[in-house]
Amino acid sequence: MKNFFDAFKRHPKSDRAPGPTMQALLRSVSMTDAQELSCEEVYALMDQFAEMVKRGEDASRLMPMVQKHLNMCPDCREEYEALLKMMEVPAKDEDRRS
Amino acid sequence: MPERDNLTWIQDLQTSSPGREAALADLHATLLRVLPRALTRWLSPGDPALETLVEDVAQETLLRVLDRLDTFEGRSQFTTWVYKIAVRIALSELRRARWKDVSLDEMTESADRDAEPDFVRGRDAGPESAAEQRDVLQHLQRILSEELTDRQRQALMAVGVKGLPLEEVARRMGTNRNALYKLMHDARLRLKHRLEQEGLPIQELLEMFNR
Repeated sequence: MKNFFDAFKRHPKSDRAPGPTMQALLRSVSMTDAQELSCEEVYALMDQFAEMVKRGEDASRLMPMVQKHLNMCPDCREEYEALLKMMEVPAKDEDRRS
Repeated sequence: MPERDNLTWIQDLQTSSPGREAALADLHATLLRVLPRALTRWLSPGDPALETLVEDVAQETLLRVLDRLDTFEGRSQFTTWVYKIAVRIALSELRRARWKDVSLDEMTESADRDAEPDFVRGRDAGPESAAEQRDVLQHLQRILSEELTDRQRQALMAVGVKGLPLEEVARRMGTNRNALYKLMHDARLRLKHRLEQEGLPIQELLEMFNR
């Protein structure tokens, strides 16, 4: 594999690339905890976490390991944000008002 | 759609329940209405592909909901739990479709080996700080090659640098998303410990690369 550090430019195919490699790597290293949840563990808790957030509770303090994983994992964060957006639409049919 | 509490949803969705068809139809209609909101970063409202995807995802979601009904623990509203399932199905499919023509090599190769690192070209970088940064960079490179396996470097490149989805990278590496996250977590932890061992405070390094 070529020099790991050659990839400093944002890769054109992804709009998620974080910028200069070393900075991004160091930042993620600095945020690393000894124990971190897996994607599946977070998935199991994601609906609960999302509802907490919607209720205005301090979810990141109440479920810090879920928050940490969401900070570290772009896939889970993307799914979480999509879930929040779905929750914005009322589940009930609001057209039946007459 | 009638309001159902969690217990009613579970009861209505039982195989033998007379309310099952209505409950499924209500869920289906809700998903068709609500899913597009979640997918705006991928598909715009007018896109015909959106309608097809939403229908496919809604059907797949209902199947999975029924299959996993006994795993619902009531920690959230039933609809939230259903939405979560729908999101996972939708995004998995979108990621698969978007990256299907991209090989592992393309995902892990370096973008531009001759490029001068951005952070060496700092605003106020005089020759000394540029040289200092290069020294530190070389040292960090050595640490990375000593501490990490090839697979870990691959993963960090594809996911951390290039922003590719874990699922897609994992599949090509012959593993799964969970294992890949663990692999990367282990890599980050090794680096953290090694930097601590060497007395290299990460915050100072970050500041150096910010100048």
